[in-house]
Amino acid sequence: MNWIYLTEAATVLDSLTWTIVAVGIGIVFLSLLIVYWFFRYVLTFILNFRFRSFARKRGIDPAEALTTKTIQSGEVNAAIAMALYQYFNELHDVESGVMTIKRVSRHYSPWSSKLYNMKNL
Amino acid sequence: MLALLVITSLAWMAFVKPEQDRQQALADSGTVSTAQVVNYQPQDSQESAFTGGIKQFWDYTGFRNATSGHLIMMLVGLFFIFLAIRYEYEPLLLVPIGTGILIGNIPFFTDGGMNLQVGIYQQGSVLNYLYFGVMKGVYPPLIFLGIGAMTDFSSLISNPRLLMLGAAAQLGIFTTFIGALLLGFNRPESAAIGIIGGADGPTAIFLSSRLANGINVLSDGTTVKNLIGPIAIAAYSYMALVPVIQPPIMRLLTTKKERLIRMKPPRAVTKTEKILFPIFGLLLTCFISPSALPLLGMLFFGNILKESGVTKRLAETARTSLIDIVTILIGLTVGASTQADVFLTKESVMIFGLGAAAFAMATFGGVLFAKLMNIFLPDDNKINPLIGNAGVSAVPDSARVSEMEGLRADKTNHLLMHAMGPNVAGVIGSAIAAGILLSYLG
Repeated sequence: MNWIYLTEAATVLDSLTWTIVAVGIGIVFLSLLIVYWFFRYVLTFILNFRFRSFARKRGIDPAEALTTKTIQSGEVNAAIAMALYQYFNELHDVESGVMTIKRVSRHYSPWSSKLYNMKNL
Repeated sequence: MLALLVITSLAWMAFVKPEQDRQQALADSGTVSTAQVVNYQPQDSQESAFTGGIKQFWDYTGFRNATSGHLIMMLVGLFFIFLAIRYEYEPLLLVPIGTGILIGNIPFFTDGGMNLQVGIYQQGSVLNYLYFGVMKGVYPPLIFLGIGAMTDFSSLISNPRLLMLGAAAQLGIFTTFIGALLLGFNRPESAAIGIIGGADGPTAIFLSSRLANGINVLSDGTTVKNLIGPIAIAAYSYMALVPVIQPPIMRLLTTKKERLIRMKPPRAVTKTEKILFPIFGLLLTCFISPSALPLLGMLFFGNILKESGVTKRLAETARTSLIDIVTILIGLTVGASTQADVFLTKESVMIFGLGAAAFAMATFGGVLFAKLMNIFLPDDNKINPLIGNAGVSAVPDSARVSEMEGLRADKTNHLLMHAMGPNVAGVIGSAIAAGILLSYLG
């Protein structure tokens, strides 16, 4: 591929192409920025507002309730997740607990009979 | 590999060479075509109907119709199956695709325009009906439904700024779009090729089925090429190769100090937040890019099923049986669509080259943007740039790469949970990008 070819090829990059690229990148960023903004600020505000009003109804100081809210470490969360996983996924099969002796009929076979392995004196 | 080589050589000697010799002889004599052979009637009274029947049967067998292209594609299919079984590279995809390639490349009689209704491109065949789901973009939204029903957005909700890494990694889509245009593809084909950079198989199939389907006619009267097969195979192949492609780029772009950054553990996320995320995510993203509705609508619908807590049966079906069925169908039919005459072209080679560049650029964009964000973030709340690569969708492989690279730098620094944030953001980002390209070029 030489420079002449590249120069010719570059002519296909017209204004519409650059518009698609610029608008495309811009909209992807804008969309996710709006989602970020919504969840970082708007939703946090709504949830805190709900929490405060709930705390007021219960007669708890909202500021105190918010600060005492514990945030568990990753290790604690991992331990809880592992315990739940084991509880739900590694349970032993449920069995009836009734034991039965199944009689199996077999043809007579003296292959292990001691009688035939001993001298009959 | 040795066994493959031996099989190839034997097959070449047994089928292809005699066939080439025979065709050469026919060309030299300038007479009999295969269609005439099929309608073979014994001219000589000495020749029995039996030998005529045997000859006709032979003409219909795969041995008689095999070409070198078929055999090359079969080797590709076998290689996919080998990779899946031996190295467990994306086995759920590579086994159906590899088997599909074998099925799609069984040679059969087509001379004289005969339609035996067996090939994927032959009207009325069973495979053609199954391929309908790919051609009309039915399967990808169903896959997205299953992905939504199995995805936990907690890491993203707890640290929403990671969304921006999912946006930055879409750089690969648009740079590849330009690259494809420079290589001579027209605009819709270039957009379909560019979406490989989103590293999302269903999105790639969805967009290529709309833009590069071999049906659409451009304003200048030319028909777009059918590139669904090459694009899908390239996307899935590179997704399987994410652990090979991404680490060198990540190491190149980051310093030792940056790789050691420890991120704050994600906070606990409430059930209300988990329920509200898909609802508002759906409304906000689809209002901006309505063309992405089939993908994003189904993704968030699946997540609502999961998080609502009252539709456990539906969520369970979506994330297990439904996605399994659709994965089987999409893998098999995409594999079968790689018929040698359609797939073995110069365009396919270029698409594979562009696909590799797309993944590299996407990784580049994600890692560099993480570094850029760190400039503005306080010292105690910085992002480890090793999670930037996870902005390409490829869930959860690229997040696993972040984890592995993080552990390589520091054996106690686990990045998986953090990397899942940009990873699922990448799914949303690539779907939005596909929607924008579709709205311009669809």
